[in-house]
Amino acid sequence: MWRVFIVEDDPQTREFFARSVQACSQLTLIGGVGTVADACAWLQQNASQTDVVLTDLGLPDGSGLEVIRLVRRLNPGCETLVISMFGDEANVLASIQAGALGYIHKDATPADIAQTILEMKAGASPISPMIARSVLSRFHEVREITAPAPLEHAQGATELIVPEDEANLLSPREQEVLELIARGFSYSEISRLQEISVHTVQSHIKNLYRKLAVHSKNEAVFEATRMGLLSGNK
Amino acid sequence: MRKNVKTHKHGNWLVRILAAFAFIFLGASAEGATTLTTAKVILRDAPSNEATTIRLPYLWDRSHPGKSGVAEFVFDFEIVSLEAEPYGLYAAKIANGYEVILNGKLIERFGTFQWPAQQDSKLPRIIPIGPALQAGHNELRVVLRGDAGRQGGLSPLMLGTMAEVQQAHLNVWFWRSPARLAVAIFSAIVGIMGLSLWLTQWRPTADFVRRRDPLYLYMGLAELCWVFRVTDSIIETPPLPLAWWSVLSSLALGGWACLTTLFCMELIGWPWERWPRLLRGWMSALFIGGFFAAAAAWIYVWPIALTLWYSALGLTFLLFSMVFAWISVVRRKDYASSIFALAIVVNVIVGLVDLYLLRLQPSIVGSSALYFSSVLFGLAASVVVLLRFRAATVKAADLQANMAFQVAQKEQELKQTYAQMADLEKRQARISERSLILREMHDGVGMHLSTAMRQLQSGKATDQEVLHTLGESLDQLKLSIDAMNLPRGDVTALLANLRYRLEPRLRASDIDLQWNVDLIEPIERLDDKAMRQLQFIVYEALSNVMQHAQAISVCIEAARTENGVRLRIIDNGRGFDTSQPWRKGLMSMRDRAAGIGGTLVLQSSPGHTMVEILIA
Repeated sequence: MWRVFIVEDDPQTREFFARSVQACSQLTLIGGVGTVADACAWLQQNASQTDVVLTDLGLPDGSGLEVIRLVRRLNPGCETLVISMFGDEANVLASIQAGALGYIHKDATPADIAQTILEMKAGASPISPMIARSVLSRFHEVREITAPAPLEHAQGATELIVPEDEANLLSPREQEVLELIARGFSYSEISRLQEISVHTVQSHIKNLYRKLAVHSKNEAVFEATRMGLLSGNK
Repeated sequence: MRKNVKTHKHGNWLVRILAAFAFIFLGASAEGATTLTTAKVILRDAPSNEATTIRLPYLWDRSHPGKSGVAEFVFDFEIVSLEAEPYGLYAAKIANGYEVILNGKLIERFGTFQWPAQQDSKLPRIIPIGPALQAGHNELRVVLRGDAGRQGGLSPLMLGTMAEVQQAHLNVWFWRSPARLAVAIFSAIVGIMGLSLWLTQWRPTADFVRRRDPLYLYMGLAELCWVFRVTDSIIETPPLPLAWWSVLSSLALGGWACLTTLFCMELIGWPWERWPRLLRGWMSALFIGGFFAAAAAWIYVWPIALTLWYSALGLTFLLFSMVFAWISVVRRKDYASSIFALAIVVNVIVGLVDLYLLRLQPSIVGSSALYFSSVLFGLAASVVVLLRFRAATVKAADLQANMAFQVAQKEQELKQTYAQMADLEKRQARISERSLILREMHDGVGMHLSTAMRQLQSGKATDQEVLHTLGESLDQLKLSIDAMNLPRGDVTALLANLRYRLEPRLRASDIDLQWNVDLIEPIERLDDKAMRQLQFIVYEALSNVMQHAQAISVCIEAARTENGVRLRIIDNGRGFDTSQPWRKGLMSMRDRAAGIGGTLVLQSSPGHTMVEILIA
């Protein structure tokens, strides 16, 4: 029984998602709010008892990204899905970097919604070809930034940054999976082509999302160190 | 052999010059020598042929102003004992032509005793006396030619051994000959430098017309005039008839004075408006007048003309030098012209002293110091040129720095302009993209929405139909937004995205999708608009399959062709008659394909319908 918390400012949409969650026997709705402030207040109290958070990004008093970050800090075991109108890559990627593990379309059917939540808890994250391409290019950027990682002036920050072998974040398999998704292949087609199970394909995606979020954090630390905001060994 | 002789001569020169220095600075004297200072003089062609006893020096031009003539000097002297060494006679001045006869024997002659004369002895002389000298009484006769207007005359004669007279001669000779030659060489260098600068340098002007700087011309010509004048003082046998040569020499002096004056005025920049014309006019008048005066003096033997001209020149120069010094030092406080003013003042003083010594004192052995003080002009002129060059260099450097700065500034501005233009372009592109999207939303989404409204209003449509219309509208909207983010020309990404968006509907329609899409390199010529059109064509094709074909399977193929790409949407539905007039949707697809330079091919038979889009 996964406990679901919803942050959505539009009452009708919130109501729709709430009903979709309640309709599924494996899910239980434990709360629903419409602002960042309410969400933060609620999470401070109940984060440890929450398994899934569904959040909109455009909230009246701020961005849903704040909610995602707070969830991640308070309870790493709690997983967040972003409620997105179109699943457009810019918003989804920002959410993933903040710590979300997927997204749900606003026009999805109630069954799809429950399905997406359950699949995520089972280890699968939704992805679109466009997001896959963005993730690929994001990892390429990351590699370019971290490749010259052992910089002299960043010595104090090296233990904060991912080690060099981990800097090459994408495994060849993950890279291939992403490329195939970007080319429009479905999970089952990929599993056939790569001779792996659909579940493995899906879990690759979730892992990639996690890496991207972790890396984003490290990158922020790296950037901050470089700018002198964090003092390493001074 | 010749070379040896030459070397020997050089050696001689060097020895003499060194010896002269030794003599000048160590003050050796000729104690054993006899100086002959008294003589009986007889003037040839005089009414009375009487001999008078005089004391030397005898100044011809003083005793016979404006007249030429011949005088014979007779010296009687005793030699007690004759030394074994050779004897010689030294005369600091013995001009303008002469014959020396000892005991009736001619021992040296210089020039003729006729006019116009061709030679003028200007340098001190040693006359070696051979065996004509005898112990006891001797008679020495010196026949002297005096020319009107020239400094003719006879100095006291020194008789002694060659060694003794050479010592005395060396001092005077050094200052008369090699020292003056050195001055001439120096002046020549400065003069050539001046002319070279005049030929090669341009004075910067406001109107960008290149003008030579007359300052350098005046400087060069003045110094070359001076070279002539100085050289003349050591040339005894000129290459031209003596009279004409002397005219040139006088003109050289005049030219030097006039050009130096003009140089000064260029240097201080003509402080008064009327000065240039007045002064240049006066200088030209002086110079041309100089020609007539010199010609009158030397050719028509009327020396007073030259004396008058010299006076005018001297007075002009004196007055000018005072005015120039006053302007330079007191008014302008200009460094360069003050240096020059100093040179002028020194020269004027030296000139006055010279005048006193040479003209008013009965001495004729003294050498004019003016020749040497004139070196100051050359030095000052060189300093002035250096200062001008330095100023010009500094100015050029400033100008360059200024230009570099301005260029940098312009570049900066240009960059900003470029950035602004790029920004503007980007904004323009965004605006046009936005308007494109808006138009598409209007055409696509708007149309679907109005259809949905009509369906609801009519009350005939089922919920399913209305839902379908609205779903399609939402799909269009999503695809419009996706199209904004599609990489330019990336057909694979376009198809992948379409599949992702339409997959739920295909699933809902129970249509199996076969994906046969190659990885195709982006096609650069497919811009955003073309991509959107292509997206629409494929969407329409798939939509048709879902709505009308009653297919259970659809295959999407994409392959690279030689120059473009080939897309195929193949379904196994019921098919349709392609020979019938096309429906509006198909027409639109064909038009859109043609709009992006592609072709649309339809093949249909029951169980196999293919829509092919070829982009070559």
